[in-house]
Amino acid sequence: MPGFRTQFQGYSVRFSPFEETKLAVATSQNFGIIGNGRQYVLQMGPSGIQEVRVFDSVDGLYDCAWSEENENILVSASGDGSIKVWDLAAPPEANPLRSFEEHTHEVYSLHWNQVRRDCFLSGSWDDTVKLWNLAHPTSLRTFAEHTYCVYAAQWNPQQADVFLSASGDCTVKVWDLRQPRPTLSLAAHAYEVLAADWCKYNDCVIATGSVDKSIKVWDVRMPEQPIATLLGHTYAVRRVLFSPHHETLVASCSYDMTVRLWDYAAPEDALVRVWDQHSEFAVGLDWSTLVEGLLASCGWDEMTYAWHMDADPRTA
Amino acid sequence: MHRAQQRQAVLLGHLSSAAASAAEQHTIAAQPTAAGDSAAYERRAVAEDDVVIVSSCRTALCKAKRGGFKDTPVDDLIAAVLKETIRRTGVEPEAVGDVCFGSVMGPSSQRANECRIAMFLAGFPESVPVHTVNRQCSSGLQAIAQTAASIRAGYYTIGIAGGVESMTTNPMAWEGAVNPRVAESQCAQDCLLPMGLTSENVASQYGVSRETQDAFAARSHRLAAAAQAAGKFKAEIVPVATVLKDPKTGEEKRVVIDADDGIRADATPASLGQLKPVFKKGGTTTAGNSSQVTDGAAATMLMTRREAVRRGLPILGIFRSFAAVGVPPAVMGIGPAVAIPAAVEMAGLSLDDIDVYEINEAFASQATYSVDKLGLDIDKVNPNGGAIALGHPLGCTGARQTATLLYEMQRRGKGARFGVVSMCIGSGMGAAAVFERGGEVDNPPRGPVASQLAGLSRDAQVA
Repeated sequence: MPGFRTQFQGYSVRFSPFEETKLAVATSQNFGIIGNGRQYVLQMGPSGIQEVRVFDSVDGLYDCAWSEENENILVSASGDGSIKVWDLAAPPEANPLRSFEEHTHEVYSLHWNQVRRDCFLSGSWDDTVKLWNLAHPTSLRTFAEHTYCVYAAQWNPQQADVFLSASGDCTVKVWDLRQPRPTLSLAAHAYEVLAADWCKYNDCVIATGSVDKSIKVWDVRMPEQPIATLLGHTYAVRRVLFSPHHETLVASCSYDMTVRLWDYAAPEDALVRVWDQHSEFAVGLDWSTLVEGLLASCGWDEMTYAWHMDADPRTA
Repeated sequence: MHRAQQRQAVLLGHLSSAAASAAEQHTIAAQPTAAGDSAAYERRAVAEDDVVIVSSCRTALCKAKRGGFKDTPVDDLIAAVLKETIRRTGVEPEAVGDVCFGSVMGPSSQRANECRIAMFLAGFPESVPVHTVNRQCSSGLQAIAQTAASIRAGYYTIGIAGGVESMTTNPMAWEGAVNPRVAESQCAQDCLLPMGLTSENVASQYGVSRETQDAFAARSHRLAAAAQAAGKFKAEIVPVATVLKDPKTGEEKRVVIDADDGIRADATPASLGQLKPVFKKGGTTTAGNSSQVTDGAAATMLMTRREAVRRGLPILGIFRSFAAVGVPPAVMGIGPAVAIPAAVEMAGLSLDDIDVYEINEAFASQATYSVDKLGLDIDKVNPNGGAIALGHPLGCTGARQTATLLYEMQRRGKGARFGVVSMCIGSGMGAAAVFERGGEVDNPPRGPVASQLAGLSRDAQVA
């Protein structure tokens, strides 16, 4: 379907876990360097993508996440270090519902626990990851081991207490809430690691994306060697996401403006598709969990697209 | 390091050439941006010595002899707009360098004296001088142009320019004999033609049909009625407390006149089509598609932009250019078609740049001709009606049109940047002036300081 143009540059797109056609897009003014932010809630329809709600914020928004327990709750990660909680069912005056202000630098990543459903993680440029619960006014835990910006924090889809964090200190750390220290510190790349994700069908496999333009697939039980290295992007890899429906399918987006689909089961021939719908950095990507093969991407060209992986993003 | 710079640094790290393979040796580094202000058209040539208008107001326009001002002395009309100008701007009267009023039919010296009297009635001290100016129907605009020129020339900093006409007191007339030598020149003779006959000349020479004229006239009434109903004239009209004398009993009634009384909301091309031609048998010009004879006054205050900023006065408009041209007296109505391009060119613009026109509707014939000759978009012309509905108090009209134009441009905001006031002039002339909407200048940067904007392009919008 035709793309949706947001007013500010897109940073993150997330499908709603409750409604197949609902999307959230976190955007920032002036490419997120300086200015305001705006959280969009969009609806896919027969004639394209329509805007349902917008929430304005003082600083740029870098990521967003839907609540797994309430279809109306949405959280946004802001450049001023705050996490905004939005309630779609509440009137504009009541929004944001909450503003968690603990991080001292940009919050770059948010991920909601899909097993326990009541808590979420935030990854920040203040080098920490924090654990939150909406019922609690302050963070539950702070994980401070990284020595540079944390770009991504992702829960393991099957293990309720396990998550990973990807950082500009070139490592990916695997954490367990039951342990005080990371269970694994993986020197995944020689350059900053901007993205990492868990395989949805094998709870020991992760993929990492880096400034070195490569995507590496690892088994955390064998951290010395990647299972596969996926080469093809011509600039830093911004997001990597395992498909919720196919064990070996990985989608990625990059500063080279492309969104790519890989199948690491055949690592020599891993690149399946290249999509070039964006005319600026492609920085937001998501798989739908409700509709098999449905992808969404957003970028600095202010465009948000939703398409089936077998189709063309601009016309699907 | 400020946040913005930090974020740029992080992003730059992602694009670092250190991660580039040997094959691709692009050097990506932060550069001070060469991107300029992409909104070049929006950037205004803002000069401290621009002549700006900080106030523009008028009395209601009332039918001569029968309307709201039929018993109002001329000096009361002038005093009303002068007083309102001072009230709106808060400028102390003694700071005004000169006052200039356009006036046509009043006896020259007497009218100039009436203006002086009016100034005293309005509370001006004796130190402020006054004069009148007469270029027939353009006198009100001429007064504004002259005042702007005087400010530009440095004669004074603050001036009031306006216009007045009481056609109840001074109807159009020729006093005394006509020099027989006018027979020597066709043009000289044509100067004596009644205005209505020049309208017939324009209609026949340029093929403006009766139907077209009536349709234009109905449009004027319709738009004026709509504007009046929507309260659009409230900003420019100053209510005048006066009396109305019953002609039979002599009884005086105190009234406040604050609405134009010439507008016929029910006028249609059909109803106007019933009227008989009044100037020429078998002609097309009727009372319905001609301007009305009217009483009214208007005034604007002009000053340098420097002075307006110093006083903290909001700027309604900026005076940009003026042109007066000559045309054959027999078809004096074509004046705007010649004057408008001249004034627009002098402002360094083209007709496409003009967003709103106030073209005086002396007659529907000449107004229609002017619009068609210049290929103007009719929706830009007299959007709030014109002299056919509102009236044409000769000396006041130019200043009245200026008030209506400036407030219409204010209402449109960014939708209107330049406007034109123009009219034809009896005895064969035309005049036009270009105004720019005021109120927006290159705003000084608010919020983030220069260091925070380092590296961003000039049109980066920052909260």
